[in-house]
This record gives sequence, structure tokens and C-alpha cells, in this order.
Amino acid sequence: MAGTSVNPYEMAQAQFDRVAGLLELDASTRDLLRQPLREYTFAIPVRMDDGQVRVFRGFRVQHNDARGPSKGGIRFHPQETLDTVRALAMWMTWKCALVDIPLGGGKGGVVCDPHNLSQREQEQICRGWVRQLARNVGPVSDVPAPDVMTSGQHMLWMLDEFEALHGGHYPGFITGKPVGMGGSQGRAEATGYGVVFTIREALREMGLDVRDTRASVQGFGNVAQHAIRLYTQIGGTVTCVSSWDQADQTSYVFRKESGIDLDELLKITDRFGGIDKVRAREAGYEVRPGDVWLEEPVEILIPAALENELRADNAPRIPATVKLIAEGANGPTTPEADSIVAAKGILLIPDFLANAGGVTCSYFEQVQSNMNFFWEKDEVLARLDVKMTAAFHAVSELAASRRLDMRDAAYVIAINRVAQASHDRGWV
Amino acid sequence: MSPPEVPRFARRFFDPTRRISRIGDGPLGGKATGLVAASRVLAARRDEIAVPGLEADVPALVVLAADAFDSFLDRNDLRPLVSEEPADEAVSRAFARASLPAEWLGDLRALAQDARCPLAIRSSSILEDALLRPFAGVYGTKMIPGNQPDTDARFRSLVDAIKFVYATTFFREARAYRRAAGELPSEERMAVLVQEVVGRRHAERFYPDVSGVARSWNFYPSGPAEPREGVVDLALGLGKTIVDGEARWTFSPAHPRRPPPVGSSRELLDVTQGAFWAIGVGPPPPYDPMTETEYLVRPGLDAAEKDGTLRHAASTYDPASDRLVAGLSRPGPRVLDFAPLLVQGEIPLVDVLRRLLAFSEEALGAPVEIEFAMTMPPGKPARLGFLQIRPLLVSRETTDVDARDLEGPAVVVASASALGNGVRELGDVVFVERASFERRLTPAIALEIERLNRRLVEEARPYLLVGFGRWGSADPWLGIPVRWDQIAGARGIVEAALPEGSAEPSQGSHFFHNLSSFGVLYFTVPHPDEGIDWEWLESREMVARTDHVRHVRVERPLVMRVDGRARRGVVLRSEAP
Repeated sequence: MAGTSVNPYEMAQAQFDRVAGLLELDASTRDLLRQPLREYTFAIPVRMDDGQVRVFRGFRVQHNDARGPSKGGIRFHPQETLDTVRALAMWMTWKCALVDIPLGGGKGGVVCDPHNLSQREQEQICRGWVRQLARNVGPVSDVPAPDVMTSGQHMLWMLDEFEALHGGHYPGFITGKPVGMGGSQGRAEATGYGVVFTIREALREMGLDVRDTRASVQGFGNVAQHAIRLYTQIGGTVTCVSSWDQADQTSYVFRKESGIDLDELLKITDRFGGIDKVRAREAGYEVRPGDVWLEEPVEILIPAALENELRADNAPRIPATVKLIAEGANGPTTPEADSIVAAKGILLIPDFLANAGGVTCSYFEQVQSNMNFFWEKDEVLARLDVKMTAAFHAVSELAASRRLDMRDAAYVIAINRVAQASHDRGWV
Repeated sequence: MSPPEVPRFARRFFDPTRRISRIGDGPLGGKATGLVAASRVLAARRDEIAVPGLEADVPALVVLAADAFDSFLDRNDLRPLVSEEPADEAVSRAFARASLPAEWLGDLRALAQDARCPLAIRSSSILEDALLRPFAGVYGTKMIPGNQPDTDARFRSLVDAIKFVYATTFFREARAYRRAAGELPSEERMAVLVQEVVGRRHAERFYPDVSGVARSWNFYPSGPAEPREGVVDLALGLGKTIVDGEARWTFSPAHPRRPPPVGSSRELLDVTQGAFWAIGVGPPPPYDPMTETEYLVRPGLDAAEKDGTLRHAASTYDPASDRLVAGLSRPGPRVLDFAPLLVQGEIPLVDVLRRLLAFSEEALGAPVEIEFAMTMPPGKPARLGFLQIRPLLVSRETTDVDARDLEGPAVVVASASALGNGVRELGDVVFVERASFERRLTPAIALEIERLNRRLVEEARPYLLVGFGRWGSADPWLGIPVRWDQIAGARGIVEAALPEGSAEPSQGSHFFHNLSSFGVLYFTVPHPDEGIDWEWLESREMVARTDHVRHVRVERPLVMRVDGRARRGVVLRSEAP
């Protein structure tokens, strides 16, 4: 995806194989964990607004549920592939294990472009997706959530279809629901805030004062926006953001050396995170096309868009000022880029640690939904901070003690937990 | 104090390497400064302070720095609200609804998770630090039990308590105080202390055996006591008894065996502590997060006797001989005179306090006030928790008033036991009318004074306040029960004896602390009709009159003079009679 030939599933398996070697896992455990337990691919026929029937391709992959029900988002994307979904499901398994929540990993998707679909057509896709999978998902087996180009509205349509089919109320079937409809306070902020909690802890370990740091952020969706909010609130300065332009089908970078004004930009941003170039220029922003966000002379890079954005071809352009990369997106750095980043002496907080705030809060939402009792926002965010901070330090300490990079240390912790659960269940 | 001097909170409350730590990067405020000073005094003089059977420490403490307060106001858009100076209840409601800054919630939750003990949530004002002026008792303190088994419940009560302390920054009393101090009422920043409460659990309550305030300078010496000998207040249970000006035991550390000046031992039954404050650790009380006393209980001495905590604190009154007998060996009314500690010296508290005062004064280079709390578990060493040091402001300027100055045609008020020191001028007088005064009216009189005070503060006109009985008395039969904010504009206060008999001058520590820190001159007049030229006052131009209080203005300023060393004071008129 995103204009690259890297196969994310192969990348995920390569990462797993390396860590399985570090952990000296036996062959059967490796076989079990390097591929999904279950995969569903299916057709979703939808009568379009023009009366024609169009068939969409849907996926659900349950990578591993040894530690608990599968958990993972549903993506609507025109370039969705089964391999992407497989890779993301595997990363979900590791992510849940890393932050030590009792869930496994899953992911789903539909090959479609919501930009070109009416609300009714999107609703039919959601309901069709659930009809195909109603027996294979649910609060105690597999719990979906919003992801790329899906929202709380999509989740409610899916929940409604699921409850209609099962004849009862099951708010714990799906997360990412709107607050007041079974959603959790703090869910919108969770992923972005989680990224910043890990940045805060990393800066403390590095002896850097956040007020002396600048950041460049790739992406301007939910994760990026909330990460920018909290990072600036704790004293940092964001000098650059990039956003996807739907009309031009390319990214643009918006720079302001004195620091971007999040609220100002939000006023000129569409619902998919695209910033209005003309009005941004009027507001004093320098606007440039391409991926120059990673060339900014900042201390922190936050890739918070799609996968494979930091690659062998562009990673050498990262300037020497950069001390820290926090992966807000899933899989934004290829293994080759990882090596380049490491050679530059940059600390990298891997995706499934940095952006685990989302799934952690999804877990909180599921807990609240299952008991139909909802917490105050500060309780949610406080629990989130405790989980994220504990996970960061566990990874950081293991990295230091075993001389691993942060990604490998995180994988070692996560894969070890999943392997242990699989052993304990007698699967391998 | 710059934050880096205090290490960052490492998510462990009882961290032996970090007795004091901080959350946040902003200033830590006056109280935190005092506690850091206290811990330094203890560390530096540990060997000299140590005595067998008594261990002194600074209880575990985490300070939430003032940047959290700023973020709380800004992100919840509360500044416009507080600038309108709404009623206390409106401030409470808005603050209770608002969210604490997300970046500090994890630390607070970790704190709640780790600290399964009663906690005191106290304000630490930045203005207090900047002005070197104690804002004691102006802002709220909340005690929480910390005994709920569920971390969520402990976290909830901690967060609610912090919001309560924040809200009290903008309560009416606090605004009046800042206005009187010449600051904008909305100009304040607040750090918050989360501190372990020193105490022991007894059934469904938790409290220290003794809490106290000791000052190295006595503004209100009586008998042979000298101002420089200092003064100590002791109470059973939480220090709230002393802070609120309730009955407590006051003594000079140079004369610890000397009882307060009362007519008979029987009288001590009326003027000593009859109830005490404790943290309720039994069944949870009704949810009331914006009330300071939500988790507090106030049992009587019979409860303390059952708890075994009167052992070091009480004597027994013997009506046959009108004497107090130290201890509890015989039946009879208990009197909290702390005789087992002070007379029998079971634990060398007085000795330790003298040293603590001396070392603290040396460390701060000025007269000081210290707060402490003590537990004395049977068979174990006593623990003295050192809770605060702050400088006391004592005027060093010299003013002479000799005995002859108390008489003469220009004297409006003459006092042989005045407090404070120096010379002040003012043009307004608010006085309680002689003719209509009755003890039962004192609560109404307090409200009338409040109205007049508010107008005078708004007009920036300092005034002389004249009334009967103890100002700030908790007991309305002993005087006029005003709070400090109700008389905050007064720069001179006259306490005339009650028409039906005398009462000792009020010793409400923070009330009088405010008097001294604002340089208010205080005149005690032992007789309701002598020492005050009532006719002259009553014939001045009247500005306002309520049912029992009159506000008059003089053409040429009155001059107040107090000789702090001789403790004589006069108010002189400049105009003809």
C-alpha cells in the first residue's frame, strides 16, 4: 500500500522469525505464531444508490487468541489486501500482549473507497460484513473496532446488525462506539495521547526537557491530532504536519517554524484529515508536496499515517537533529529503514508500543460495555497512562539489559507472552 | 524554589530515597518550600533532635506543581468564570465537572494505587511563596481516608480532593484575602501537596495522638511568658482544631507546666478541647466531594478514651478539691491539658520542640511557625511528623508608648495589653454599638460587619474595628464569630471585654496569624466602658449604620501606636474633641 512494493505480511513474518530466534522458540510454536489461526474472505453484495449491485471483498483474520478474544480494527481502503490484514492482525496480537491486556489479535477490512460511497452504501457494506461473520465474531470471540476510514457510525451499524441477528444487546461486541452509545470516554484521545505518554517517558530517560523539543508529524487524522494536542500541552512545539490530499491524491507538508496552531488547522481540515492548502497558506503556513516532513530539523518524528512511510530510499534524509521516532501508525518503518535509523543513533519507539493506547482504550471500552457501567474520562486516561508507562519501561529496561533495540525488546516481551499462553493451553 | 531541587515522582509513594517528590515542572508554592526546609532541618540536625523513644521525620509527600493548576484552568476554560467572582457553590460545581490535565493522571493514579493510607490534600500557594506572607488557613485542605480496597475509588477521591483545593483558590474568603493583600483576586496559582497523614487507626477513625503548632515568637504572651520564648498549641486529633481556632491547650515552651490564666480548675473544663477531628475510615460517608469535611468525623473525648489516646493528653477534674489530677486513674471529667506530656515529661516533647524551633529559626533566619503531629503507640517509639515551617513576620521597627501616653485628651483607645508593633493612620472606624449589644446577637453582628467590611475593602479604606469579646471566636457566646475574610480590611482591632464578664483573648492561630502577617494592631481593653472614648466615637460623622454596628469617618486621621515590647497601645485623634 501507499505506493510501495513491500509486502507487510512478509515484513511481519520476518520480524517474528528474528525474535523467535532470539527467544529460541521451538518449531511448532513458530509455525503456530507466524501465521493466523483463522482467516475469512468473503463477498459483500450491495445494491448501490443507482440500482446496480456491486460486490465488495471483505476480510477478517484472527491471528491468535491464546490470551483472549481477538481484537482489531476494520479498514475500508481501495488498496486493501489479505496480506495487509494478516500482517496487521499479527501486530495486534503482539500489541495486546505487550501492554498486557487479555486479548488476542485480529484485523478486518473491505476493499472499498468510502470517499466514493454514500452513507447508505457504507451502511450496507457494514451490515453485509457482519452478516457474513456473525457466527465467528462476538464479545467472547472477536471484537472489531474502527480503523482506516471507518468510524463510530460504522461500528453502530455493525453492532445493530449483530444484535438483530443474535436477538439481544451485546455492546461488548464492538468498540469505538460513540460516547453515550456504549463508547468509552477518552477513546478519541487514547491512541494519540498514548503516543505522547511514551514520548514523555523516552525524553525523561534521554534527559531531554520536552520544552526544548520540536516535532514533525506525518498525518493529520485522529492519532496525529491528539498526539499534537497533548505534546504541545506538555510544552513541545510541532513545526510540521503532513496530510493526504484527496483531490490531488498526494501528501502535502504544512510548516511553521514558530509552531503550528492545531485549532487553527482543524478549522480548515476535512473529515478525512485533509488540510485546505489555500487557506493554510493564507494563515502563514509554508505548503510543500511530498514526504519532506521527515527532513524537518526537529528532535522528534511522529509518523502517524500509513505503513511503509520510512523506507530505505527516504530514511537517509532524516536530519541529525532527530533523536526520537515514535511510530503512531502501524508499520511505518521498513526493516531496512530500521537499520538506517539505528545507525543514526535515533531511539525508535515501535508502533505496537507507541500506538497501543488505542487498543488499550478499546479494551477499557469492552470492559465497560460488558458490565454496562462507564467510567469518567480522567479514570480512563489515568489507567491508560499507567498501562502505557509501565509497558514503555518494561521494554526500555529489557532493551537495556539485553542490548536490544526497542522494537526487538518489545517483540521479545510480546511474543514470549503469547507463546507462553499457547503452551499453557496445550496448543504447542 | 525551582522544581529540579525536588526529584520527580517515580510512581512510588513511600520511596525511601524520595520522601518529597513532584509531579509537573512548575513552581511548588509556599507550603512545599516549607516542607523542603523542614526536611533539610531534620536531615542537618538529626542527631541533635533525636531523643530516645521519639523519632522525627517529614511524612511522605508528593507535590503537584502549579503548571497543572494553570492547565486545569485553561483547558477547562475556567478563567472567565472565576474572573466573574461567582458564589463558592458555582466555583465548586464548575471545578468538579472539569478534568485534570491528562498528562498527570497516570502519576496520580499510580499514587492512588500505591498509597493505601489516609492522605492530606493541601494547597501550596505560589503567591504565598512570592510575597513571603503566610496564607495559612485561606485555602482548603481535604483529608481522604485512602482505605478503599479499590484503586478506582481511591483515585476518584484523590482527584476530587485536588479539584476541591483548586476551587477554594477562588472562594470568597480567599479572594477577600488576596484583595486585602493588595493582589488581584484572580491572580493566584496553586500547587497541591499530597501528604501522608501521621496518625493511627482506632476502630473507624484515624488521627494523631497529638497535633500542634509551635511559634518561636509569642504575639500573645500571658503571665511570665516573654514573646521571644515562643508559644505552642496542642490538640488531640487532627490539627484542624488549631487551624480553625477551636479550644486547644496553649503553653509557653519556657513554662510548660503553667496552666492558662483562668479563675479556677473548673473553668478549664469549659475552655479546653471537648471534641477532636479524625478521618473516618469506617463505612464511606455520603458522596460530597466539594466539602472539606466529607471524610472527617468529630467525636467526643469518650471516644478517645476508648481508643486509649487520652493516656498522654488528659487530666481528671476532681470537683471536691477543684484540682486537676494528671492521668485517667480515677473517674471524673477529663481535661485535655496534656499534663502527662508537659508536666510528667513521659516523652520529652517540649525539649524536642524547643530545639526544632531554634534550628528552624536558624535555618530561616527569622522567627518561625512549625506544625507537627505525633503518634505514641504503646510499646513503640513515638513518631513526630514535622509538617511545616514558615516564617513569622515580626515588625522590628521601634515604637515607644509609655504608661503616661495611655491617658490624655487625645486618647480614643488605650490598651495596656496591645499586640503588634508600629504606627498606622486611618480614617474610618467600624464599631459595635454599646447600647444594643447582647451576646446572643453576635452571629448577626458578624454578618453586619461583613457587609461594611466588603464596602470598605472595595473602596480601599482601611479601618479600625471595635467590638466586644473574642474576635473570631468559634463560640458565639464568647465573642463575635467572624471569619478572617469578614474583617479583612481592618488594620486595627479593639477587643473590649464583654459587658457581662471577661474572656481571654482569642488564640485562633491562623486568625491571629493573619493579624500579624498583615501588621494589624490589636488592642485588648479589659473593661467595656473604660479605655474607649465611646462618646467621641458615637459623635463622629456617620457613614452607615446597621442594626448593631456603626461606620463613622473622622476628618483627620486617627493615629494608632503600639509598642510591641511594652505591649502598650493607643489610638489617638488628631482633631479636636
